[in-house]
Amino acid sequence: MEDNKPTFDKILNDLTHHIRINKGFLLWMGFLSVSLLICLYAYSLQLKTGLGVAGIRDYITWGIYLSNFVFFVASSLIGMLISAVLGLIGMKWITPLTRIAETIAVAFAAVAGLVIVSDMGRPERLAYVFIYGRAQSPIFWDVTVITTYFVLSLLLLFLPMIADMAIIHRKSTSLPGWLKPVYKTLSLNFTDSPEQNKIINRCIRILLILVIPAALSIHTVTSWLFAVTSRAGWDSTLFGPYFVSGAFVAGSAAVIIAMFFFRKNYKLQDYLTDLHFSNMGKVLVTVSLVYLYFNINEFLVPGYKLKRADAVHLHELLAGKDALLFWLVQTGGLLIPIILMMFKPFRKPLPIMLISVAVLIAAWIKRYLIVIPTQEHPFLPIQHVPQNFMHYSPTLIETLISIAPFILVLIIITLISKFFPVIPLHETAKEKGIEHIKFD
Amino acid sequence: MEYNNNSHLPDGAENQKAASRRNFLKNLGLAGVGVATGAAALYSGGIFEAKKEVSGDSKVLLTQDGKLVRVDSLEIKAHEKSGEELSESLCRGGIPGRRWVMVTDLSKCRNARRCIAACQEAHQLRPEQYHLNTLQIQDTPATAPYHIPKNCQHCDNPPCVAVCPVDATYKRPDGIVLIENDRCIGCRFCMAACPYSARIFNWLEPRDAAKYQDKEYNAELNVPQKLGTVSKCLFSADRLREGELPYCVSACPNGVYYFGDENEDSVTNGTTRETVRLSKLLRDNGGYQLMPELGTKPRVYYLPPKNRLFPFENINPETPEKV
Amino acid sequence: MRFKKLILIIAVLTSAPAMIATAQTWVVPDDQKAVCAPIKFTQEMQKQGEQVYMKICQSCHGLPGKDNWMKLTPPPGDLAKDKAQLQTDGELYYRITTGKAPMPEFRNILSDDDRWNVIAFIRTFNPKYVQPDPSAKGSFSGRVVTLALQYSDPMKKVIATATEKLKDGSMSPAAGVEIILYVKRYFGNMQVGDMKTTNAKGEAAFEFPFDLPGNKDGYVDITAKVNDPKNLMKSTPASGSFAIGAPTDKPGLTETRAWWSTRDKTPIWLAITYTGSVLIIWGFIIYIIISILKIRKVAKA
Repeated sequence: MEDNKPTFDKILNDLTHHIRINKGFLLWMGFLSVSLLICLYAYSLQLKTGLGVAGIRDYITWGIYLSNFVFFVASSLIGMLISAVLGLIGMKWITPLTRIAETIAVAFAAVAGLVIVSDMGRPERLAYVFIYGRAQSPIFWDVTVITTYFVLSLLLLFLPMIADMAIIHRKSTSLPGWLKPVYKTLSLNFTDSPEQNKIINRCIRILLILVIPAALSIHTVTSWLFAVTSRAGWDSTLFGPYFVSGAFVAGSAAVIIAMFFFRKNYKLQDYLTDLHFSNMGKVLVTVSLVYLYFNINEFLVPGYKLKRADAVHLHELLAGKDALLFWLVQTGGLLIPIILMMFKPFRKPLPIMLISVAVLIAAWIKRYLIVIPTQEHPFLPIQHVPQNFMHYSPTLIETLISIAPFILVLIIITLISKFFPVIPLHETAKEKGIEHIKFD
Repeated sequence: MEYNNNSHLPDGAENQKAASRRNFLKNLGLAGVGVATGAAALYSGGIFEAKKEVSGDSKVLLTQDGKLVRVDSLEIKAHEKSGEELSESLCRGGIPGRRWVMVTDLSKCRNARRCIAACQEAHQLRPEQYHLNTLQIQDTPATAPYHIPKNCQHCDNPPCVAVCPVDATYKRPDGIVLIENDRCIGCRFCMAACPYSARIFNWLEPRDAAKYQDKEYNAELNVPQKLGTVSKCLFSADRLREGELPYCVSACPNGVYYFGDENEDSVTNGTTRETVRLSKLLRDNGGYQLMPELGTKPRVYYLPPKNRLFPFENINPETPEKV
Repeated sequence: MRFKKLILIIAVLTSAPAMIATAQTWVVPDDQKAVCAPIKFTQEMQKQGEQVYMKICQSCHGLPGKDNWMKLTPPPGDLAKDKAQLQTDGELYYRITTGKAPMPEFRNILSDDDRWNVIAFIRTFNPKYVQPDPSAKGSFSGRVVTLALQYSDPMKKVIATATEKLKDGSMSPAAGVEIILYVKRYFGNMQVGDMKTTNAKGEAAFEFPFDLPGNKDGYVDITAKVNDPKNLMKSTPASGSFAIGAPTDKPGLTETRAWWSTRDKTPIWLAITYTGSVLIIWGFIIYIIISILKIRKVAKA
C-alpha cells in the first residue's frame, strides 16, 4: 500500500484540474440559462395574469407547484443524512461524498424557497410572512426551518472548504487567475494552526448536531402542511416520518446521480470508487426499506377501515384513475430497486445510477400522488363548476414554471462543483496518509 | 361611510356608530400628527388638547379609550385613508355581544338558487365562484337525495384560520370568519384545510375588475374582489351591521334560511320574517351540523329534509364554461 | 342561461302531475273582499309599488303582461291578466298579506302601505280599473283600542291591558281583544307564548319564558299588539322594557388562546417553544459566524 501512496501534487491536480472555464461548461451553462429564461417568461405571464394561468382551481388548489416544493425540500434532506448521521457514527467512506451531499442540500433548500413563491397568489406580499407571521401556522414554521436549514447547510458546505481553498490558492498552478482573490478571501488566512483547526472542528461539530433536528423539522413541517388538515389521504399521524424516510430515498438517489456525473466529467474515478457507489446503494436500500415500511402503514391501515372518504381516495389511488401512476411508483420506484440493489452487480456505478434516476422520477410522481388526488375528492361533492375545476391537469405555462427550479438547481450545483473542489481536498489528503501540508 | 341616518337601527348598529366615532378620532389623531403647523392637535394616548389657533367652535368627541374630549372644529379633518382603517379595525372587532348563527331548513329547499344569485351579485363573483352553493347529496343509496345549500360554516374551531400564516383570515368575536384581502398572500392553505370546500380563489382578474378598481375595499363585503387572494362567505357582515339579514337569507323565496343571534336565542326567517327561538327550532326539528365529528364546531345548523315542501328535482348540474 | 332553461323544463315536467293533485281553491272571506285601500292611489304610490314589486314579487310573478312568471305549483300567474285583475283590491290585499305556499306571507315583510302600493302598481296594467272611492266607506265604525303593558311580580306574568274608546268618548276596559306578545330581537320581533284574549277587566296575562336571554341585566324589550288580521280595529300597541329575561353577557368568541387565534393571542407555550427554538439555533449560528471571523484574526496574530 505504501508504494501506491499518491503524492500530494497528484491529489491536488486530480481534485482541482476541473476548476476552469471550458467549452463544455459554457455550452452547458448557456443551455441552462436559455431554458431558464424561457421558464422565467412563463412566470412573467403568471405574474401578469394571475395564478389562473396554471391548471389549479378552487378544489384542486395545490398542484405541481406544491408537489414540486415537497420534492425539493425532500431532496435537500440528504445533506444531513450523509454528513451528520453517517459522519457522526464514524463512517469513514463518506468523506468524498460529504461535499456533494451538502451541495445538493444547499441547492435544493435554496430553490425550495423559490418554488413556494411561484405558488403564491400574491408573491409581492412575501414579506408579510415575516411582518404578520403567526406562530400557529405550519407555513410560518416551514419558512423558519427552511431558512435555518439552508444557512446550516451553507455553513456545513463552507467550513470544511476553508482549508481546501487555503491550499489551492497557494499551491495550485491551474487555478484561474480571477478565482485566486476569491479563494484567498474565503480561505480566511487559514494556516492549519492548531488554534484555527480547533475553531473549525468545534463549529463543524456543532453544525452536525444542529443540522439533524433542523433537517428533520423541514420535512416534518412540510408534511404537516397536509397532515394538519382533515382531508382523506392527508389526515395521517404517520406523515412526518413517512415524508422524512421518503426524502432520504429521493436524496440518496440524487447523490448517486451527482456522484456518477462528477466522477465521469471531472475524472474522479480514484476518489469516487465502485465501493462508494456500492455503499450508497446499501444506504439507498436501507432507506427504501424504511420507506416501504411506512408506505405499508400509510395505505394498509386506512384501507382496513375504509372510512367513507378514505375509501374513495384509496380506490382512486389503488384501482382507479391514479392507479397506473401509483403502481408504477410503488414498483418501479421502490420494490424493484430494493430487490435489484440487493445484488452487487446492480450497485456498480452505471446500473445504480440508472436505478437512481428511476427512483428520483418516482419520488417526484409520488409527491404528485400525495398532493393532488386527495383534493379531487373533498368531503362534499364538487358541483356546478366547470370540468376543469373537477379534474386537475397542469398547463404548459405551469409546467414551464415547474421546470425552472430544476434548472436552477442544476445551475447552482454546476457552479459550486465547477469552481470548488467536489471532493474535500484537505481531508482526502490526510486520509491518504499525507500528514503534513505546508500552508505558507 | 355614512352613518348620518340614525333613524332606527338595532343596537349592533349603534355600537358600530360608536366604533366609527372612535375610529374617526383615531384617524383624526393621525391626521393631526401629520399637520406640522406646530399649532396642530397633540395626540397623546388618545387625548387631544385644543391649541392656540381655535375657531371658537368646538365639538365633544369620544376618544378610542372611551373619554369625552372637546376638539376645536378646525382640528377635525377627515383622514384620507379613513375608509380603509375604519374598515380594518371595525371588521376585526365584529359586532359586540353577538354570536351569529344560521339555520338552513332542508325540507324547504327546492334548489331555486336564488340565494346564490343574490350572493354572487353582492360579492361580485363570477358565475363559477360560489360563496354559497347548493349541492345535490345522497347520504346512502337507500336514503332520499336532497339539495343542501352549503356556505362557509363559520366554525368556532376554524381549521382554515388556524393555518393562515399572516392573520389574513381571522375569527371575529361575533363568530364570523373573515378575510382581509389586502393581507392575503394567496398561499391557499386555508382552502386545503377547509373540510367543507367553502373557500374560493380569484385565479384570474375578478369579475368587472376594471369597473370597480377605484372602489374602496370593504372587508365585510370582500368587494372589490382581489386577484390572487381567497374569498368566501362572510355571513354578509356588512348587512348585519345595518340590522339586515344576509343577502342569501333574504333572497330565498322558500323560507329555507333562518338567521340570528345565538346570544338572543332567536333566528329570523329570511322569507317570512318570522322570528323564532333558536333552541326550540333546533330541538323540535332535529337540527344538526355538517360533519360535527371533525370538531370544527360550525355556526351553521341544518334541519333535516323531512316532510318536504317540494318534490326532489334531480338536477344534472350543468357547468359553466371552462375558466 | 341554458342552465335556467333546463331547470324550467325539469320543473314543468315534474310539477305537471303535482299541479293537478294540488289544484285547490284559495278562498278569500267575504268581509275581506270588501276591504279597500285607505286612500286614493297616487302616482307616487304606483312608483313605490313598482320598486317593491321588482324586488319582491317579480322573481315569481315575472313582469306584468310579459307572461314570464316562474313555473311553480300552483302557478303564480301573470298579474296583468284577468285572473288577478278581476279580483277586488281587498282580495289582492288579503292574498298578499296571508300568503299560501308557495306564495309567502308578507304580513311581516311588507308594511300596510307597501302592500297597497304594490296593488296600486298592479292596477296600472288594467286600463278598465276604477278604484272604489275610499271615502265612500263612511266613518270608521270598528273598535278603537289602546294597549298598556306591565309586569306583575306576584303573578310572575306580563299583563297587557286593553282600553277602549267608546262612541261617547269615554274609556272602558276592552274585553275580548286578541293580544300577541312580542320580544324584540336583532332582526325583528319574536312572538312569546300563545295569543291571549282579554278578560272583562281588559287584561290578558302572559307567561314569560324567563330563560329567554335579555341584556346583561336581564332586560327585554316587550311589545304587545292587537291581533287584528281583518283590520277591523284601530289599535295602539304598547311597549316596555322589563328585567325578566335571563341576564346574558357572553364574551366574544375570540377570548381563548387557540391554534386559530390571531397572533396576539398565540398560545403561550407555543410562543415560548417557537421563540426559544429559534433563539437557540440562531444563537449557535451567530456563534459560528463569529467563530469564522475569528479564524482570520487568529491567523493575523
